[in-house]
Amino acid sequence: MSNPCYGRKRGYSRRAVLAQVGLGGVAATLGQLRGVRHAFAQDDGRPWYFLDDAEARWLAAACDTLIPEDEYPSASQAGVVDFIDFQLASDYGAGAGLYMDGPHQSGTPEQGYQFAFPPSDLFRNAIDALLQDDPPLTELDAEGRHEALRGLSESEDNLTDDIPAQAFFTELRTLTNQGYFADPIHLGNHDYAGWQMVGFPGAHAYYLSTVDDHNRHHPAPPMGVAHDRSGGSSLPRLIERGE
Amino acid sequence: MADYILPKTDVVIVGGGWTGLTTAYELAREGQRCVVLERGRDRHTATSFAGPEEHDELKYALHHAHMMELRKETLTFRNTRDQRALPMRRLGSFLPGSGLGGAGIHWNGQLWRPLPSDLEMRSHYADRYGADFIPDELSIQDWGVSYDELEPHLEFFERICGTAGTAGNLDGEPREGGNRHEGPRASGYPNPPMKQPIATTLFGEAAARLGMSPFPMPSANVTQAYENPYGAQLHPCTYCGFCERFGCGYHAKADPIICVYDRIKDHENFEIRCDSQVLRVEKASDGKTATGVTYLDKSGVEYFQPADIVCLNAYALWNVHLMLVSGLGEPYDPETRSGVVGRNYSYQTIAAVDVFLDDEIVTNPFMGAGALGVAVDDFNGDNFDHSDLGFLGGGYIACTQYHGRPISYQPVPEGTPAWGAEWKKAVRDNYLHHTGIVVHGSSAATPDNYLDLDPTWKDAYGRPLLRMTFDFPQNDRKMSDYVLQRAVEIAEEMDHVRSISTINRAAQDSRYSLVPYQTTHNAGGAVIGTDPRTSVVNRYGQMWDHHNVFVFGACLFPQNLGYNPTGPLMGLAYWTLHHLKSDYLSNPRPLMDA
Ligand SMILES: Cc1cc2nc3c(=O)[nH]c(=O)nc-3n(C[C@H](O)[C@H](O)[C@H](O)COP(=O)(O)OP(=O)(O)OC[C@H]3O[C@@H](n4cnc5c(N)ncnc54)[C@H](O)[C@@H]3O)c2cc1C
Repeated sequence: MSNPCYGRKRGYSRRAVLAQVGLGGVAATLGQLRGVRHAFAQDDGRPWYFLDDAEARWLAAACDTLIPEDEYPSASQAGVVDFIDFQLASDYGAGAGLYMDGPHQSGTPEQGYQFAFPPSDLFRNAIDALLQDDPPLTELDAEGRHEALRGLSESEDNLTDDIPAQAFFTELRTLTNQGYFADPIHLGNHDYAGWQMVGFPGAHAYYLSTVDDHNRHHPAPPMGVAHDRSGGSSLPRLIERGE
Repeated sequence: MADYILPKTDVVIVGGGWTGLTTAYELAREGQRCVVLERGRDRHTATSFAGPEEHDELKYALHHAHMMELRKETLTFRNTRDQRALPMRRLGSFLPGSGLGGAGIHWNGQLWRPLPSDLEMRSHYADRYGADFIPDELSIQDWGVSYDELEPHLEFFERICGTAGTAGNLDGEPREGGNRHEGPRASGYPNPPMKQPIATTLFGEAAARLGMSPFPMPSANVTQAYENPYGAQLHPCTYCGFCERFGCGYHAKADPIICVYDRIKDHENFEIRCDSQVLRVEKASDGKTATGVTYLDKSGVEYFQPADIVCLNAYALWNVHLMLVSGLGEPYDPETRSGVVGRNYSYQTIAAVDVFLDDEIVTNPFMGAGALGVAVDDFNGDNFDHSDLGFLGGGYIACTQYHGRPISYQPVPEGTPAWGAEWKKAVRDNYLHHTGIVVHGSSAATPDNYLDLDPTWKDAYGRPLLRMTFDFPQNDRKMSDYVLQRAVEIAEEMDHVRSISTINRAAQDSRYSLVPYQTTHNAGGAVIGTDPRTSVVNRYGQMWDHHNVFVFGACLFPQNLGYNPTGPLMGLAYWTLHHLKSDYLSNPRPLMDA
């Protein structure tokens, strides 16, 4: 039975992807095997920081529809669900940067975020509502998922009493995108998937002698804040499609 | 009542950014004991902003780790008076600073001078086109200070920053390669212009073919080893692409910590207290002066800091807030159009052209700097004939290359879906073959755009939030559309162009939105002038109502010009400090008759 998994695919060869994206080589593979250097390193079967399994599966399906696999990894293959999980468990999710005092009322689009709750609740409540869909997103084929997300992005309806579908979609798209392109220390952009894809060399940046060297490619292998050729992020969690 | 009353100081300065630290430098060296109170944390360019750790786009550019914390202080916002203003719960349109150095540590470093006519906005347009030309919906006015008066001070700040550029008008002599529209300058830029990448070069060539005068954007990203007049050492910019929204650990972007603070911090007359939130300015019973300020330290202890002189250097918006919560000056009432504090709040009109280039053009967008670009000034201010245009003001058009940070820099041609396989392919196909042209335009003041106190929401200290009522007037929408069309013409003239698309934040059918970033160029609200009925401070930056309160920053602008504000506002700061030192200190009094 074909039972596609999100996140790291079963039997998925990272080496093959690396070869495709032109990094390859022993250093990268070693980086993989060596695993991770930061505090969040855990083995497979690691618990999520914030999500439950059903939410993680929904997110994997949604994120991989926003950023599907092609010659470059999909969102979840690049650790985007791990990224979102950690974001929701930390300051961003808690709304640490937000003014949260009441009273709350909904405003015009020009007035921005007016929810009475922080982003972690926005994600939890929205996804829990969307998990009630029949059939759920995770059970749809690629085309079905694409249509479902298009519907979400264009819907004028609310998902819950206080969450407009579009508001959640915008936040979801933003986080998915951040997870694909942020420095790997934040757990996404695994193996520099996003940076390899566009050709961004990363945090180590010194271009005094190249900035006016016109039209020459600058194919430096990406390097992030953690000074690690493999990016320094742990392997994305394995996300089974579910029973 | 404050928990403690501290010994009196000569000068208390609210805010430790460009204006606050410069005020402290100049007055401490003049023998005045200065205490700077800064609400944010202590930090230093060398230790706090070093790469590569600093080069974390998510943390600094998108989660705003260097900027103000809204849960402590924010404002409420509405477009028009018939709406209910709601709190700005999340940063977006502008990113005010907090912490030592203020927003000056995470600025771009685009360092402009005002045009002479900018400073005489109303009389200039009335003289050239007739008084009827000025639309009734606008409350624009003259600054009360002329370009010639500001010139030495503008020049001095350019030297403080080691500014890189090409002069276009040396003492009235036009100079090839510079901005031929600029006012006469007594001296050239202290450093040569920045190197230009391919995209900005193509833009300059196209603009020149169209008969315009392209020139390198004046830049406080320094181009060679340099010592400023205070003795600060600056290093050449590395074009690292982590500039605006980041601090510069290379000491290559002029910031108030390296350029000013380090040169005064050990002086016996200088003291700074970080984590010190000023709550209000206290007034004397004679109603003519302030007695000092009340502030809260980190642990919640409240102090009264008495002072002979109070300087407000808390950034445009928070200066106005402090005046309103302290009862300094008469608040503006849009109903009766009387009062001055909060009046003539203005912003900046921003539009842009996305230019997609042939594959053989490799832009390497990640090789960037905050003030890297080529500009034309032919459609700024009154550099072009407005007779038949039906608006006043203008903007500069610049092709820039700030950065290629991959979350924020994802150019895709018009019509590309916002996500999915097609979007993903477009992101990778265009990343290295795109450039952006910005139209950075003026913002005229109107009687309906203003700042006051919100009736409902409070900050973490129990003070009413500042309330902003703002939308772009019709004048600015027309102006922005017109200058954007000129930018499109340049883009179309560029070699190797595949396609272009445009975006205009002040488009005809839109409203000003607090959500997308535009600029941290909030202006007005405590404007400078020569008439106490239409200005908060006199032409020396001194409050009409309280002669020992001096005000600094873009809140002084009667309307916003087409340029970034820091050059003009620092010119004003040095102008004010000059009069404070040479005239006020020896004989404290109102420097102008009301
Ligand atoms: C991303 C970005 C890019 C920019 N790029 C440019 C550019 O290229 N060119 C340009 O000209 N300008 C630019 N600016 C604007 C520029 O940063 C400001 O014009 C300049 O910093 C203003 O200096 P200031 O001293 O008035 O205020 P600030 O630098 O904001 O300093 C004010 C200080 O006062 C403190 N403060 C506020 N309230 C209180 C209080 N109640 N008690 C105690 N302390 C208080 C704040 O914490 C802050 O540190 C940019 C701004 C940003 C955010």
